[in-house]
Amino acid sequence: MNAVKTWKQVVIFAAFVSPALLFYTLFMLIPAGGAAWYSMTNWNGLNPTYSFVGLSNYIEALTDDPAFINSFLNTLKYVVFMVLFRNLLGIMLAVFIESQKRARSLFRTILFMPNMLSMIVGCFVWMFIFTRLLPYIAEHTIFKFLDRSWIGDPAYSFVAILIVSLWGGVGYLMVIYIAALQSIPGQLTESAKMDGANEVQVFWHITLPMILPAVTIGVFLTLNNSFQVFDVVYALTGGGPGRQTEVIALNIYEEAFKKSYRLGYGSAKAMILFIIIALITFIQLWVMKRREVEA
Amino acid sequence: MKNQKTNRTAVNLRQNIPRALILFFLIIASVFTLFPIYISLLNSFKSKGDLLNNMLSFPSRIEFANYINAFKKTGYLNCLYNNFTVVAVGLTGIVLFSSMAGYKICRTKTKWSSFIFGLFVSSMLIPFYSIMISLYKIVMKLGLDDSLPGLGTIYIGLGVSMAIFLYHGFVKSISQELEESARIDGCGEFRTFFRIVFPLLSPITFTIIILNALWMWNDFLLPLLVLSDFEKYTILISITILFGEYGNNEWTEILATLIMAMLPAIIFYFLLQKYIVKGIAEGAIKG
Repeated sequence: MNAVKTWKQVVIFAAFVSPALLFYTLFMLIPAGGAAWYSMTNWNGLNPTYSFVGLSNYIEALTDDPAFINSFLNTLKYVVFMVLFRNLLGIMLAVFIESQKRARSLFRTILFMPNMLSMIVGCFVWMFIFTRLLPYIAEHTIFKFLDRSWIGDPAYSFVAILIVSLWGGVGYLMVIYIAALQSIPGQLTESAKMDGANEVQVFWHITLPMILPAVTIGVFLTLNNSFQVFDVVYALTGGGPGRQTEVIALNIYEEAFKKSYRLGYGSAKAMILFIIIALITFIQLWVMKRREVEA
Repeated sequence: MKNQKTNRTAVNLRQNIPRALILFFLIIASVFTLFPIYISLLNSFKSKGDLLNNMLSFPSRIEFANYINAFKKTGYLNCLYNNFTVVAVGLTGIVLFSSMAGYKICRTKTKWSSFIFGLFVSSMLIPFYSIMISLYKIVMKLGLDDSLPGLGTIYIGLGVSMAIFLYHGFVKSISQELEESARIDGCGEFRTFFRIVFPLLSPITFTIIILNALWMWNDFLLPLLVLSDFEKYTILISITILFGEYGNNEWTEILATLIMAMLPAIIFYFLLQKYIVKGIAEGAIKG
């Protein structure tokens, strides 16, 4: 009797879980396992046979591939700027918007809008601004400094990438911080004001400590996201000029599908990206757990 | 008396200047945000000569030809249909399969159940770029390349883990009484789920639909890898290919194309703004 019952329960469990598990296995688990395996082979897209080469792909990527190292450094630079600016601007906009009365939802609606649009479309629009509009403005007004090779010169194209990324990504952080601000009990800030604290003091001593958990989330979200940056660089500069603004994800894509078809080697780079993301996630979990213990 | 008055103006000033600065900053940020959309809208209605003449002014004559050309060259309606197909297949699968799995895993308290939950959640940190090479190989092997339902199916596999995680968390918070009384009344497992439980999940279902619809609609690299037939292009792929062909010259038409590409997302945004913003914040904080 009991055995029949458990057996029945197993069947029901399988019926509920297996559809999701099937697709998940097919398109997530097997490719993930595949990436780990191929990263240790010399498989390329042109040759049907391949063999096991151990860790030599990893060693090559980390020691003997200037383009990959360069893409890694570019990504790192991008990550630093994004984590800093997206979160600072996100907090600032959220605090400012919450201080408004009537125009609050109008500003929120406008500032979040670019997040609805694909970065690809956003980049093409900005491409018009950088390559056509700014030179035009420079020519016809006093803003001569705008006439630069925004896309062609690596120093400025990195700035262009940052501008477009901020344009497209700040709203997301802003929304997270607005949600955090709204969860602060009103009495807390009011009683502080009654005790004579000014707005700045309220922000430093009440608001900021209260939204600190959201800051942790925001920082790790941007860390995670910006290490995987692809669309904006692909559409804006294509990694160029040369490979000077290339980032890791783009380097993997080029390696596997455009330049050399060395799929095994590309997989090794993909695994390196995965290890970076995994490390970040573990640090995040550790930080959050420690904070919970403290609180 | 007079002294008091100046005092009050001083206080007012002290309060009003930061207020004004904050408002000023918000207005600048809003202008910066809207400017690219405004400038493309403006110039998409110009003739080529008009554009070169003045990029900041209103069009001297409204030119609809850009839109007509863009409409034809991208195969706009076909692209929209393709996008909808992919999103529809993906959403149906993600919502249906994840709600079932998330619910059952949450209600089953065994070692196996938590192992499978761990299996689903563990991949949430795997970047797409890390699996794309071997995913591409499997897609080719299964013959899912150049198939829109196929693309939607791949999204199911990539999307279920996050959705199961969200459903799992939500199911934990709803009471089991209703399910149990339905079961006592002789209601079968599937009927109990679809009649009683699934409707209770609708707040989180809504969030999941919004997050996933946006992701699939705006995703770029997977369709780029999988689709190669013009007839099957999603709107983003069509634009990217077209952009490459146009070179840097036909900006009036390109801008018209871009405006048309933004339109569905912007309409969606204005219709469901409140829910979208809420869903994004929730998804980010719980995920």
